[in-house]
Amino acid sequence: MTRVLVVEDDPQTADEIKAALGDHGFEVQHAANGREGLLKAAADCYDAIVLDRMLPGGLDGLGLLATLRAAGVEAPVLILSALSGVDERVRGLRAGGDDYLTKPFDFLELTARLDVLLRRRSAPQRQTMLRAGKLEMDLLTHVVRYAGRLIELLPREYRLLEFLMRHAGQVVTRTMLFEEVWNYRSVEPTNVIDMHISKLRRKLDPESAEPVIRTVRGAGYVLRATV
Amino acid sequence: MRLFDLPHTTSFRLALRFFLLFGAASLALFGFLYWQTKHYVEGRVDDWLTREQGIFSPMDRSNLVQRLNAHVVADPSLERPLTLFSPAGQRLAGTPLNLAAATLETMPHDDFFKFRFRQGRQDIVFRGLAHRLPSGDLLLVARDMAGTRAFGVVLIDAFIWGGLVTAMIGLVGAAVVGVDAVRRIDGVTRATQRIVSGDLSERLPTDGRSDDFDRLINVINGMLGELERLMQEVKGVCDNIAHDLRTPLTRLLAGLERTRRREGSADDYAVAIDEAILETRGLLNTFAAILRISEVESGARRAGFTDADLCEVIADAAELYEPMAEAKGVRLLVASDRSPAVMRGDPNLLFEAVGNLVDNALKFTPRGGCVTIRAFTGTGTVGIEVIDTGPGISRDEREAVLRRFYRAETSRHTPGSGLGLALVAAVARLHGMDLAINDAGPGCQITIARPTSGGSVLIAPPAAGADWAASEGAGKVPA
Repeated sequence: MTRVLVVEDDPQTADEIKAALGDHGFEVQHAANGREGLLKAAADCYDAIVLDRMLPGGLDGLGLLATLRAAGVEAPVLILSALSGVDERVRGLRAGGDDYLTKPFDFLELTARLDVLLRRRSAPQRQTMLRAGKLEMDLLTHVVRYAGRLIELLPREYRLLEFLMRHAGQVVTRTMLFEEVWNYRSVEPTNVIDMHISKLRRKLDPESAEPVIRTVRGAGYVLRATV
Repeated sequence: MRLFDLPHTTSFRLALRFFLLFGAASLALFGFLYWQTKHYVEGRVDDWLTREQGIFSPMDRSNLVQRLNAHVVADPSLERPLTLFSPAGQRLAGTPLNLAAATLETMPHDDFFKFRFRQGRQDIVFRGLAHRLPSGDLLLVARDMAGTRAFGVVLIDAFIWGGLVTAMIGLVGAAVVGVDAVRRIDGVTRATQRIVSGDLSERLPTDGRSDDFDRLINVINGMLGELERLMQEVKGVCDNIAHDLRTPLTRLLAGLERTRRREGSADDYAVAIDEAILETRGLLNTFAAILRISEVESGARRAGFTDADLCEVIADAAELYEPMAEAKGVRLLVASDRSPAVMRGDPNLLFEAVGNLVDNALKFTPRGGCVTIRAFTGTGTVGIEVIDTGPGISRDEREAVLRRFYRAETSRHTPGSGLGLALVAAVARLHGMDLAINDAGPGCQITIARPTSGGSVLIAPPAAGADWAASEGAGKVPA
């Protein structure tokens, strides 16, 4: 079972995160401050750490993160913060964080991102070919085939599909797509991204009743790993 | 202002300080003049004494006595006494100066000295030169110093009177300067008190002299204008939030109550819950948008400024919105004057602003229409404009559409939060850009632009939001 440590000082937020991650099938441990977080993270082996940026006491989130990384703890860390500036995000990632989520956030967003982080750790780094069901993507020649049929994609559609394929079987939120594919950090225009996805769907298999890219209500999309 | 407050005013004190400095300088100058003049006059007297002594000393005794006695007749008022004393101190000839024996003994020989002689009631001061003749007699040549002293007295009198008049002028001048400054400061104080007590439309008074004080007041008035605008906006936002959030909250509550009343199947409940989630999500998005506008307006985002290429930003925005335009049957065009159009800014926020403008334009442009995005630089401005072929925004609504939650009557039933243009306005203000809404005849042209140089990003022009009326037509937008 995947074990996640949540370092969050606000008891209510902590309870909600614990409940959401528990429902998602994770085993969750909680630490209420930086010291406790450091002790638990160092003593035990976790698959991922969810870390609040601002913590009471002497050790705040970034300090804790730096200490953990210095101590050789390699678990992926997702930083939660009420500070939304671009430079805050950069600072968090520079301190050794793997992803950054601004409060208030959607719990589906949190679990989707954690899934991606966990997968990234286990996925082989140097691939030249992505496969998901009938889909094939050659990362060197940029040739995409669906059930053997060549698919013509615009550069942005190619990147969109690549991201979905890299995380096949996982829920990918619209925010994640917007950040990864369009590379802008602002509020994502939900309906426009939906339109890009439907365009992509039409190109892949216009006739199919069961689309390759499935909409997950209230969360985002998932590319079927098999079919 | 009361008169006894005057010495406490800065201007009065400053004027007084200058006056004292000026007085000290005058005093020093006068002292120097007085000393120089006195020295000169005494020098002339000394020359004369030396010359007289040179004439009389070589004479033989009888000739000398004769000449001295003749001199007594010629100088009855003792202005230039010439006297010959015997070695014992007896007057032998010349001016009858009956000097005390002590005076004669102590007087120096062949050197100038000062002595007093009482004649009748008058005490006369003389300057003299004594010479011992070879015969042992003492020849005294002297001169009454009354004239020289009188000159000194006149000089000192002139100084005292001149000084008094100057002091009067100085004091009155300081008072006038002080009163003027106090009057202006009192005006500012009264205006400030009215502002403190709640009248935010009050402005500090200026004299129209364009001096340093006026410049300061103009800056403060600009600040007050911005404060007033923000206060009104905050008030408007509060009213609008209350009004606009009540509708979806009421809908949410009604839906939940209805579900409870009708005891439906599990599927009915699932549908009701999904509806409630959707409604709540919408509410949260609205809150997020409000918070986002506040964040942009607070200016904290300036930390993320880099060199942003507007051409790149609009190309990305066009690419993002292309499927939406396609679905609506509207052509989306990108027109760039020249590449790149670079300015200091936050590309993420600029992208969001352009996205909002394009989204808005697409929403109001009918099928078959056209939306053009243009980035421009040169002719002193850099910026972005979005032109559509929709119905346009009527002149009297152009300021209102920039307010949060404002929905034009004609767009009441179009989906949207009413926050899009407010965010664009906030982003523009953060970048020191002017937002202008113009007629594209037919359609709407929205421009955000700023001067390429000289314009400071840190201080947005005070009327950034309300400037659109002045920029009507081709004034600010290069064709």
